[in-house]
Amino acid sequence: MTATGKAILLVEDNPDDELLTIRALKRNHILNEVIVARDGAEALDYLFGTGAYAGRDVSVSPQLVLLDLKLPKVSGLEVLQRLREDPRTRMQPVVVLTSSNQEQDLVNSYGLGANSYIRKPVDFEQFSEAVRHIGLYWLVLNEAPPVRRG
Amino acid sequence: MNGPPGQTGHADNDEGMDSGALALLKLGIDFHAMAAITSSEGRFTYVNDKFCAVTQYSRSELLGQDFRILNSGYHPKAMMKELWQTILGGQVWHGELRNRAKDGSFYWVSASIVPRVDPAGRPVEFITIRTEITKRKVAEETVAQLNADLQRRAAQLESANAEMESFAYSVSHDLRAPLRSMDGFSQALLEDYGDRLDATGQDYLRRVRAGAQQMGRLIDDILGLSMVTRQEMTHDRVDLTALAQLAIAELRQQQGERLVHWRIGEGLAASGDPQLLRVMLDNLLGNAFKFTGRREQAHIEMGRLGRVSDGVFFVRDNGAGFDMTYAGRLFGAFQRMHTTAEFPGTGIGLATVQRVILRHGGRVWAEAQPDKGATFYFTLPVVEDPS
Repeated sequence: MTATGKAILLVEDNPDDELLTIRALKRNHILNEVIVARDGAEALDYLFGTGAYAGRDVSVSPQLVLLDLKLPKVSGLEVLQRLREDPRTRMQPVVVLTSSNQEQDLVNSYGLGANSYIRKPVDFEQFSEAVRHIGLYWLVLNEAPPVRRG
Repeated sequence: MNGPPGQTGHADNDEGMDSGALALLKLGIDFHAMAAITSSEGRFTYVNDKFCAVTQYSRSELLGQDFRILNSGYHPKAMMKELWQTILGGQVWHGELRNRAKDGSFYWVSASIVPRVDPAGRPVEFITIRTEITKRKVAEETVAQLNADLQRRAAQLESANAEMESFAYSVSHDLRAPLRSMDGFSQALLEDYGDRLDATGQDYLRRVRAGAQQMGRLIDDILGLSMVTRQEMTHDRVDLTALAQLAIAELRQQQGERLVHWRIGEGLAASGDPQLLRVMLDNLLGNAFKFTGRREQAHIEMGRLGRVSDGVFFVRDNGAGFDMTYAGRLFGAFQRMHTTAEFPGTGIGLATVQRVILRHGGRVWAEAQPDKGATFYFTLPVVEDPS
């Protein structure tokens, strides 16, 4: 699989899951730069060029956001809501990647405009397989939304 | 409760009522109600038979006695103050009173107190008519008590449900993450450092992974069980035959080289929640599939027992069966009849089956023999057939 150069924003507060997700990406030869935001606020800072990311060129958007739901400070659902409200990030592909498959999480995620919802399996082989599919689909097969001009 | 002003001493100014009618009116009152007259100081000057009967005092005990001997001390001061203000102001008071009988027991009356006033407007005596309403009041109190109990229990249930909901949510999110670490890093060790571990070391890591994955399944099954309890139910016509076919289609994918003869009765239907009944059949048929795993020829049958109107269904297999001595534990959560090495599982399946059936108001039971197979019976509400 050849992935194009744009970055993946991984929004994940659990350092173990961060390491395992990156391991699974490497294992599947997904070589995109991975930017890690460890809570919802940091994710919003990156996407909107605020806080620690003040001055970042926000017209360069990540090819994919991998979004955990249960996060410190600002929850994943809130991040999703803010992304969909803002014209700059409205079309940003977001894959919810989380532990739970509780109905309320599924309903809320899709309701707020998630593009996909993947439950992280306990079994790393299955997790790695899920990451492979995510990479293949979102980084290779899927046509990204056009870059916003002006 | 105020009425019109009391009569001012003229008992005979009723519209067109002659003395004969008045006498009958008094007879009627005596028959129907407790009647008494007290002086302005509150001493009994007249009581009828019914008044004596209900209060349990004789007429001679009551006459000249202060009316307060009837007080039960039950009513709030404000209410008694309002009563007195009303009748001392020459108005009729009407309301419900709890009084005390001679033996100390309480009775309730619906009372009207009519003051008779002199030309200056001062009360000279009080005429009271009371109807005993103890039975009604006790019934009302019982109903109020039951309602309060019910409301308290509903509130408790609601808060327990909310707690359960947030518990399940937290379990779903937080309990699986450490398992992913255990499994993922064990796998990473095997992949990156496997050459530095001997076979025993690698076996230990595989056991860590197997343990983590088993616990992951356990958590999923517990959440499934709690979902089966919490989820709101619908009552639709459910095609059990079709649901069973769906479950079998999934099981066939795991069938591999196994020879399994499925026989599902035609036109099996019940009234219930399709999602819950699917979970129930997945578990029953999945069990039958699992426990026939060591048979050269597995036979799994689902059908109806007796008449359609009985709503009795069964799932039968020729698998490992179990000893009926332990049947009492069969439907308990985390109870297993076989070791995980013999047949893998979490011990949640039949507990889930039972909860689904109980929520439908049905029963579930089993018959089995070790090594001869098992039959699970369940009842469900039958579909009201309009034809």
